[in-house]
Amino acid sequence: MHIVVCVKAVPASTEVKMDPVTNTIVRDGGDAVVNPFDATALELALRLREKRRAAGEDTRISVLSMGIPATERLLRDCIARGATDALLLSDRAFAGADTLATTHALTCGIRELGMPDLVLCGKMAVDGDTAQIGPELAGALDMACVTDVRALVACEHDAVTVYAGGDAGVSLIEATLPCVLTVAKEAATLRMPSIAGVLAAEHAAVDVRGAAEVGADAARIGLSGSPTQVVRSFVPEQQAAGVEVSGDTTAQAKQLVRIIEEVA
Amino acid sequence: MAAIDEHAGTVRIVPLTHEHDDYLHDESRSRGEAESISFPTTEDEVRSILRSLHAAATPITVQGARTGLAAGAVPHGGHVLNLSRMNRVLGMRRDDAGAFFVRVQPGVILSELRKNLHARSFGTEGWDDVSLQALHALADAPEQIFPTDPTEASACLGGMAACNASGARSYTHGAMRQHVSALRLVLASGDVLALHRGGERAHGRHLSLTTEGGQTLEIELPTYVMPACKNASGYFVEDGMDAIDLVIGSDGTLGVISELELALVPAPAVTWDVSCFFTAEHDALDATEAMRSELGCAAAIEYFDGAALDILRRQRTESTAFSSLAEPPADVACCVYVELQCASEDEALAELTRLGALVERAGGSAEHTWVARTELDREALTFFRHAVPESVNMLIDERRRTDPAITKLGSDMAVPNERLHEVMDLYRTTIAKAGLEAAAWGHIGNNHLHVNILPRSAAEYAAGKELFARWAHAVTAMGGAVSAEHGVGKLKRDFLEIMYGRQALAEMARVKLAFDPCGQLGRGNLFGEELLDALRQAEASALDDNAEKGGA
Amino acid sequence: MAGLRVDETRCIGCARCVRACAHGGIKVEHRLAHPTDACVFCGACIDACPVDAISIERDEAAADLSVYRDIWVFAQVDKGGAVLPVAFELLGRARALAAQRACAVVALLPQGPNGTGAPERELIACGADRVLTVHDARMVPLDAEMCAGWICGLAQQLKPEIILYGATAFGRELAPMVAVRLETGLTADCTRLEIDEATGLLQQTRPAFGGNLMATIECPARRPQMATVRPGVFAGDACACPVTVSDDAVKDKIVTCPLDASARPRVRVLATEPAQQGASIAQAKRLVVVGRGIGSKKHLPLMQRIARALDAELGCTRPLVEAGWLEYPHQVGQTGVSVAPELLVSIGVSGAIQHLAGISGAKTIIAINEDAQAPIFGIAHYQVVGDAIEIVNNLVRELESAAPRL
Repeated sequence: MHIVVCVKAVPASTEVKMDPVTNTIVRDGGDAVVNPFDATALELALRLREKRRAAGEDTRISVLSMGIPATERLLRDCIARGATDALLLSDRAFAGADTLATTHALTCGIRELGMPDLVLCGKMAVDGDTAQIGPELAGALDMACVTDVRALVACEHDAVTVYAGGDAGVSLIEATLPCVLTVAKEAATLRMPSIAGVLAAEHAAVDVRGAAEVGADAARIGLSGSPTQVVRSFVPEQQAAGVEVSGDTTAQAKQLVRIIEEVA
Repeated sequence: MAAIDEHAGTVRIVPLTHEHDDYLHDESRSRGEAESISFPTTEDEVRSILRSLHAAATPITVQGARTGLAAGAVPHGGHVLNLSRMNRVLGMRRDDAGAFFVRVQPGVILSELRKNLHARSFGTEGWDDVSLQALHALADAPEQIFPTDPTEASACLGGMAACNASGARSYTHGAMRQHVSALRLVLASGDVLALHRGGERAHGRHLSLTTEGGQTLEIELPTYVMPACKNASGYFVEDGMDAIDLVIGSDGTLGVISELELALVPAPAVTWDVSCFFTAEHDALDATEAMRSELGCAAAIEYFDGAALDILRRQRTESTAFSSLAEPPADVACCVYVELQCASEDEALAELTRLGALVERAGGSAEHTWVARTELDREALTFFRHAVPESVNMLIDERRRTDPAITKLGSDMAVPNERLHEVMDLYRTTIAKAGLEAAAWGHIGNNHLHVNILPRSAAEYAAGKELFARWAHAVTAMGGAVSAEHGVGKLKRDFLEIMYGRQALAEMARVKLAFDPCGQLGRGNLFGEELLDALRQAEASALDDNAEKGGA
Repeated sequence: MAGLRVDETRCIGCARCVRACAHGGIKVEHRLAHPTDACVFCGACIDACPVDAISIERDEAAADLSVYRDIWVFAQVDKGGAVLPVAFELLGRARALAAQRACAVVALLPQGPNGTGAPERELIACGADRVLTVHDARMVPLDAEMCAGWICGLAQQLKPEIILYGATAFGRELAPMVAVRLETGLTADCTRLEIDEATGLLQQTRPAFGGNLMATIECPARRPQMATVRPGVFAGDACACPVTVSDDAVKDKIVTCPLDASARPRVRVLATEPAQQGASIAQAKRLVVVGRGIGSKKHLPLMQRIARALDAELGCTRPLVEAGWLEYPHQVGQTGVSVAPELLVSIGVSGAIQHLAGISGAKTIIAINEDAQAPIFGIAHYQVVGDAIEIVNNLVRELESAAPRL
C-alpha cells in the first residue's frame, strides 16, 4: 500500500500581533513547523502502517510538500518519525498560489510519487484556515474524499473505514480506495522520532523538484494559475468602546445581573 | 541610620490571622504556627523589622515562595518574614570576559527571571548606568540563561539559594551554589554582611568576617568531611572555603538573604531531549554509567521506574488533563531521560550516535527512544516528566481522603557514582521485603533518586518512615548524603544526625550562634531547638564562670 | 510573466512595504524596493506603499465572461429533509447582490427521493426566483461528490456568475470539489459579500492573519465566482416575512434536473453518533468563555457553576485546551469553534486575535478581566475590570439567589 501525506510549513506561532504605530503585522513566528493538523495525518499513516505490518503487509508512506527550500528540514524530520520518502516541490513558479494552483502542484507531485491508495492531509492549515486542499485534491485526482477524520478504523482491500465529523455528528464512514482523508488535529499526536529514526533520516534523500520536473502546467500553478486575487487588505474597524461596568466587585456583579436580564 | 529609621514606620508587622493561613505551610504539607507576619519590599525594611524583633529575641522564619519540600519555611512560633514582595530585578553587569551577572531581590520567581531573560526585557526603574549598559549589551549577546532548574519553576531565587536547590540540570551545571557570585545577608541584629565570591575565604576551618556595621564575626567551622556526591545536608564546609558557600544552603538559619548576584551562562545552541526505554532496571543503570563516561554534552540524566510509568499510563486513560501525554512503549519497564546541550547540530548528532550505541549495548533499543528536537516535542516531554510527581501527589491526596495520616514520603538521598547499583539494590530489596508500594524517579546521573513510598494505610506510612531511617544509615555508610537537594529543613534533622553525628550538629549550631547569637532565625531548621538552647545556656554559664573568675 | 512590479520612477525607498510584509518578500536596496523569492503576492506592500509604486502583474486570460449570469445559492437539507437556516441567510444576501447585477437568484436543492415539495416552496417564498432540484436516493445522506457532479453539470450548462455555499461541514467539503472541477476560485468563510460598482465583480471579504487584517478577494477571470459563508454571518439578511406562494405559482419555478445515471457514491455512511459538545458550543445561545486569567484549574468548577446559573455552555481559549484543562471541542476561536451566541460572558480572556475572530459573531459580549489593557475589551460591549474570580463568585451568588428554587 502507498500513502501520501501532504504537509505544509507554517509559522511555529500563529499568534499575530499588530504594530500599533505602523499598523502592520508583526510576525514573530519563530521557526517554521509542520502544520499540526498535517502532523496528525502523518501519525495516522504511521499507525496504519504498524497495523498492516502486524498483518505482514508493507506500506510506503511518502510525505509531500510545496514550499521554500528550507522546508526540506521539516520533511527530513517526517522521515525521522517514520515516513519512507519525501518530495519537496520548490520553485519560484509555485509562489503566490491560491488553493486551486496549490492543488495542481500537489497533484503533479502525487503523480510523480506514483498514484497512492490513500492521500492524507490535515483538515486545514493553522495559517490559512481554508480547509480546501483536501477536497480539491480528491476532485483533481478523481478519488473519494472524507473530511474531518477523527479516527482511522481499518483499511483493507479496496476500502477505508473512518470516524469523521459532519453536520449531523460523528459518523462511521466507509470509502472506496483510492481516497483522500483530511484529518482533525485531535485524532492523534504525532510521535517523536527515535534515535534510529533521526540518524537514518540524516542520510535519507529528500527529493526536491521544480515545476517543470514534475510536469506542472505553468499556467496552472503559482500566481498565474490562481483565479483568486487579494485586491485589498485592511485593518478591521474597532467598534465603539463598550460600556464600563465599575464599582467594587459586589457592585459589578449586581450590575451584571441587570445587564444579563436586559440583553437576553 | 536615620535614613533607615524613616522606613521603619512604613513596614507593618501585623498579627497573623486566619487570612494568612497560607503562610503557615509550604509544599511539604506540614503546618506551623506564628504570631505575626510582615512583607518587606526592601533591604532597609528587612533590617528595621529584624532590629525591632531583636531585643525580645523573637523567633523568625524566613519565607520565599513556599515551594520547599523540607518545611524550612514553616514557622515555629514568632514572626514570619515573607520576602515574596521583594521581587525586583535590581540591575546587571557584564565582566571583562563578557559574562553577564544579574542582581535580584530574593523574592524574584525563577520563571519570571527566565521570562525576562528570554525576552531580554526587564523593569529598569532605579537601575544604574552600569546596569543599563549591560542590558544594552545583552540585547546583542547570545541568549543568556540562569541554568539552575529545580522542577518547580515557581520557586524564588532567595529560597533556591537558602536550600542550595539543584534539579535535573545540576548533572552538568551543578547546584545553585556555584551560580551565586555575591549576596547580602541581613543578620538577626539588623547588621549586614556583604559577601563576594573569592572575597572572603576561611583559613583552614576558621572564618573571620566583618559586617558593614563594623562588627567582626569569628567562626569556627565544623570539622566533618562532606560526602563526595550531590549534597544539601547541613552547612557546606571545607578547608579554606569561600564564606559565601556557607550561607548558600544554610536553610535560613544564619541570616536573611536580601540580595543575590547570579552568574548567567549562554543558552546552548542546540538542546535535544532523549528518552530511552529499557525492559529491565539493571540495563537502565548500566546505560546510566555508560552515559556518564561516554557522553560529553549530557546536561541531565534522569530516571523513571516502572511504577512511575505505570502511574502515567493510568493517568493517560483516566484523566482528561493527562490524555495528551505521550504513551510509553507497551512492554518497557523504565526510562532514562537525557538532555543533550550541544554547540551545534553536528555535535548533537554525533552525541546521539554514541547514545544510540550505548543504549543498545546496555540491552535497550535505539528504536525504543524518543528524541525531542522541536519546541513542541520538548514541551511534550517536559509535560511527561512533570506529570510523574504531579500524578503521585494526586494519588496520595486520594488516599488521604480515606486516611488523613497518610502523606507523601519521598526520599532525597544521593551516593557516589560507584554505589549506584548497590543503592538501587538496597531500595528494591527493602521495599519488597516491607511489602510497600513505591515509585522512584529523579536524578540518576547523580545517583540521586526520589524514592516515593505510596502508603495505603497509616501503618504503611509508619513502615515507610522507618525504611527511610534505615536508608539514611546505609547511604551514610556508602559515603552518601541524606538530603541531596531538598535541604534538611525541619523534616530531615534526624537523618542529618545519622549522617554527621551529634558532635557535628553541635559544631553546626555554634556556627549558627556566631551569626545569630539569640538563635532567632529559622528555628527548628537543621537542628532541634533544644540543642540550640542548651548550647546558649552553656555559653552563658561559661561567660558567668569567666566573669566570676575574673572578679576573684 | 506574472509577478510583483515596482515602478522605479515612483518608488522613494521608504521601506514601508518592507515593514508591511509578513513574509520577507520585499527588500529595499539603493533606495529602491525589490521583491524577493519569498514574496507570496499577498498585496500587503501594495496597500502600504504611499506612492502607488507597487503592483501585481497578472496574465489575464481573455475569456468571454458575459455569458455567465445569475446567482446560485446551495440549499443544504438536514437529515429530516428541511433546509438549513444558512441557506435562507445566503438567499437574503443573494437578493441584494442580484438587484445590483439585475439577475436572478437560483437555489440548488439536492434531496432524497421522497421530497414533500415544502423545501422548494420555502426557498421561493424566501427569495429564490427558481429552484433547481433533484430527487435521488444517492443524495441520502448528502454525498459531496454526487452533489459536486450534479452542480458542475448544471453550471457548465447554465453558466452561473456566482455560487454561494453555507460553510457547514458539508458545504466546506462540497465547494472545493466544485471549484476544482470547474477550475475556478473559491473564497472560504467570507464575512462580507458585495458587488463592485465599476467592475461588477463579487468582492469577497474574509479575515486573514487571524482576523488582524481583513482581505478582500476577487476572482476576475474565471466563472463562477464562489464563496462559502459561516452560518449566522448574514443572519440579518434572511427574509423576515416570507411571501405566501401557491402551488401553481411555484410550479414553473421548480426545475428537476436528474443526476447522471452512471454516478456511483464512493463514500458510505455506516452509522452516525449525534453531534456532541462542539456543535452545542457553536449553536449555543449563551456562552461562558474562560481563559488563562482564571488562574488555576481549581477554578474550573466555579466556571461550570456560573455557566449552569446562566443556562450557558462553557467554552475556553486555546491555552486552556493545550494545558489540558478542557477538551478541544470547548475551544473557541479561529482554530477551534466559531461562535455566535446572543450572550457571551468572557472571563479571564485576554483576547488573542484568533480568539477574537472566533467570537465576533456574538451579539452581546461581557468581558471580565483584571487587565484593563486586555484586547478583549476592544470588542466587548460591557467591560468589567477587576478580579475575575471574585466577580464571578459574587455573580454566582446573585444569580443563584435570584433564581426561583424549584
